[in-house]
Amino acid sequence: MTVEFINAGTPWITISILIPLIFAGILFFASERLAKPLSIFASAIVFLITTYMLFAYDYSTYAIQFYEKYEWIPQIGVNYEVGVDALSLTMVWLTALAFLVSFIWSTNIKKRIKEYFIAFLVLEAACIGVFVSWDLVWFYIFWEAMLIPMFLIIGVWGYAERIYAATKFFIYTFFGSLFLLVGVIGMYVYQYFEKGILSTSYFDFIQLGLPFKLEIIFFLLLALGFAIKVPMWPFHTWLPAAHVQAPTAGSVILAAVLLKMGTYGFVRFSLPWFPEASKYFVPVMFALGVIAIIYTAMMAISQTHIKRIIAYSSVSHMGFVTIGTFALNMEGLNGAIITMISHGFTSAALFLAAGWIYERAHSYELKDLGGMAKFVPVFATMFLISAMASAGLPGLSGFVGEFLALLGTFKVSILTAVLAGLSLILGAGYTLYLYHKSMFKESLLPPEKIAQWEKLKDMTFSELLSFLPLVIMMFVLGLYPAWWIKLIETTSAAILSKIIGG
Amino acid sequence: MSILEQLISGLTFPNLYILLPEIIVLLTAFIVFVLELLSKSKFSITIITTVGLILAFLSTSIIKEGGVTFYGLYLVDTFALLFKAFLIMGTLFVVINFRPYFDAKKSYYGEYYYLTLFALLGTMIMVSSPNLVTFYIGLELSAVATYILAGMFKRDYKSKEGAFKYLIIGGTGTAIISYAIAILYGRTGTFDTLEIAKQVNLNNLDYGVIGGLILLIIGLALKASAVPFHHWTPDAYEGAPTPITAFMATVAKIATYAIILRIMVEAFPFVSKEWALAWAILAALSMIIGNIIALKQENVKRMLAYSSIAHTGYIVAALAAPTGIGISALIFYSLIYLFMSVGAFITLSALEKTPGWTNHIDDFKGLAKKNPVVALAMLIFMFSMLGIPPTIGFMGKLNVFLALIGSNIWWLAIVLVVMSIISAGYYLRVVVYMYMYDPVKTSRHNLAPPEVVTIGIMAIVVLFFGIYPTFFYDISTTVTSLLIASIGR
Repeated sequence: MTVEFINAGTPWITISILIPLIFAGILFFASERLAKPLSIFASAIVFLITTYMLFAYDYSTYAIQFYEKYEWIPQIGVNYEVGVDALSLTMVWLTALAFLVSFIWSTNIKKRIKEYFIAFLVLEAACIGVFVSWDLVWFYIFWEAMLIPMFLIIGVWGYAERIYAATKFFIYTFFGSLFLLVGVIGMYVYQYFEKGILSTSYFDFIQLGLPFKLEIIFFLLLALGFAIKVPMWPFHTWLPAAHVQAPTAGSVILAAVLLKMGTYGFVRFSLPWFPEASKYFVPVMFALGVIAIIYTAMMAISQTHIKRIIAYSSVSHMGFVTIGTFALNMEGLNGAIITMISHGFTSAALFLAAGWIYERAHSYELKDLGGMAKFVPVFATMFLISAMASAGLPGLSGFVGEFLALLGTFKVSILTAVLAGLSLILGAGYTLYLYHKSMFKESLLPPEKIAQWEKLKDMTFSELLSFLPLVIMMFVLGLYPAWWIKLIETTSAAILSKIIGG
Repeated sequence: MSILEQLISGLTFPNLYILLPEIIVLLTAFIVFVLELLSKSKFSITIITTVGLILAFLSTSIIKEGGVTFYGLYLVDTFALLFKAFLIMGTLFVVINFRPYFDAKKSYYGEYYYLTLFALLGTMIMVSSPNLVTFYIGLELSAVATYILAGMFKRDYKSKEGAFKYLIIGGTGTAIISYAIAILYGRTGTFDTLEIAKQVNLNNLDYGVIGGLILLIIGLALKASAVPFHHWTPDAYEGAPTPITAFMATVAKIATYAIILRIMVEAFPFVSKEWALAWAILAALSMIIGNIIALKQENVKRMLAYSSIAHTGYIVAALAAPTGIGISALIFYSLIYLFMSVGAFITLSALEKTPGWTNHIDDFKGLAKKNPVVALAMLIFMFSMLGIPPTIGFMGKLNVFLALIGSNIWWLAIVLVVMSIISAGYYLRVVVYMYMYDPVKTSRHNLAPPEVVTIGIMAIVVLFFGIYPTFFYDISTTVTSLLIASIGR
């Protein structure tokens, strides 16, 4: 596969990595009052840049666009190499959106406001970096650098069990990524001995032509790192803990951006680098995907904590991405990528909703909630749309991706498709359960609860402002998926070119 | 010509020009020594030491051309100069923090300064020795000075205990090394490393060489506190005054790594497989024991002592791959280790001035609230030691990884990975206590200007070179190629 590069006239990507970092530096010296406006400003610029890139991106042929390359450590052949294809670009755009939304949302952080926003800005830079790096050392640097701010966000601004959750999150991810590092270095060394070049560039690894045995080994090493991040069953146990304990904005980022890194890794690295191993492991991935979908859907139904339900539903949705990816055909991969984008919108919105409920009702437990819908109609509507989009109601974003993923899977394995398809019912089940228990169920409500709800204020302007972009995007993606599919199609074809030929 | 004249004409005047850094350090030490007796003003001693060290540091850059002097007993090459520059710099950053710390501890003596300078001189002699005898002299000079320094808190039981342990075990170490040197001399008839290499090549291995090599490795491992020869380290590090611990953990350690590398590469290049295996085992043990015991420590200073054992493991693990990559990984890691370690220990020494501070992990509760800058710096040092990018510590580990996997030593690479994960347990704990708990004590932490400067510079270096490590790559690969070229000298 020869890859074309279109160099960036203006280094937009580097700028969008640097802006959050620069603003983080400014915040360090700025007064606490300015923290929020400045962060919103920074993330708004980044969002505008990425939106511009989204429209400026030429999707007619496959090329790495906005490409920049500078020498960094010539001694070991590491360069600073960034650029986007459609997959990276949509992920970067999603990242920018998610951060903008969570900054607008973060009004009621009471303690250490400055540090809170600094941590988020650093996190934003690292997240963007992960998706745009084509040099594996830089990729790894961003991948790991992201751990530090996320660890602090969960650990400092989280709820009661936050330290346990933060440490669990850190150690799990660190564990996986070190194996990822071993795999990458193994390939680097193999490349040096076989071809005599010192390079950590993605494009050199892609032409490596590993023997089958090594492909299997490296696939497994990398997959361990990605699977923990996705998270795939049975590596998912850090996720509910982290989600439940993280502050609302932290959960939003965790669900909308961080989980995507794992599936992004599978799509970006595992498929093109290890085509044979990918084919070999299809049954395993299908099995893990189906287990994730069904098992975590069942887990979700049996929870009573709102955030925990949404967290498990995330694992379940990621299962769809996994099977879609490993269907190894165009429909499946397109479906997987669309599901990733859609899950970015829906999970972000659902966690915002959970945060909203907690702020008003001071509880995440379903037994303390219920019957709220009548008193907060705007919020109830927003929540309902997000929940339906997440459940895969046609016309909203969730349906498109899951449908395509199932279609792709159906071509490969009917059994997998049927099992995964059945779980759509489970998905609808837990989403409706969540919504019903938290918003309706009026008849069972004691009168003092109703009195309490009557005093509730509906959404404030800034809350609405953070919900709206997500909800609008759910409609846009759900009603007009063709544009998105066109956008990612050439990229999917390029990624699959080694597997299905072409 | 009389016999006397013949003798004199045979003498060559030592090339003092290349000895400039050593001369400056020695002169400063003597001046401080005399001044300490005559003058009441301790402040002038601080100033003179600082100025002397700065001059010595600058003088390393004046020397354009290295050379051998003292009849082949003293070698100044790029390797030696590079390490000297970093050793002097490390000492400088430690020494400027003596005054605030010892003032607060009410034991501000001039002895600290000249003893540190003598220890530094010893380490400088060590790194530029082409000869086992020169090495031994340097080692003893630095060791004896450090024994005294470790026990300078005369009324503190722990300090005395640590110093005593250090003296006994360190003395055993030097004894072992002297046996090793004697055996090697007996077998090869020379002290010169390159000559030994030739002899070992000619005669191949026999019991004499093997015995000497084993003893030498044991002695060096003891000095570098590799497991199972590490027992002095926790007590000596914990008991010693904290800036002295910083000195022992960085300057003395780094000189030891350098001389291990030099002796192994120069004297035994033809038996590299054998010593590589020995160092691999020592490295694996150090990583495993150091990290696991560090997990259980409640005292942060003691935890850092165990972490330094673990870091010895990471660093000598590079020797398991006796290739160019391995050597440059060792040089790279030892140089960057200086920054993180000085940073972490000086942070401790700055905090220790607070009344009631015991270095217990509970004392760190809520530090981020009370003193956000220090907490941030400590966070950077902890993550760097853990090896998380974008800190320089990650680059160090990355190189060791590269070397190990490049030489197909997967088992050690896996040990390194697993132990790095385990080390997250205790490094994160410090961060957790600083950031995620509320302060229990309300005492304020006052930082003296030198401490702020040191901690700040170290944190910036750790971050900046983590993003732009090219400089360190440059020097470590250059020095490596020169070192390898010198084998055939």
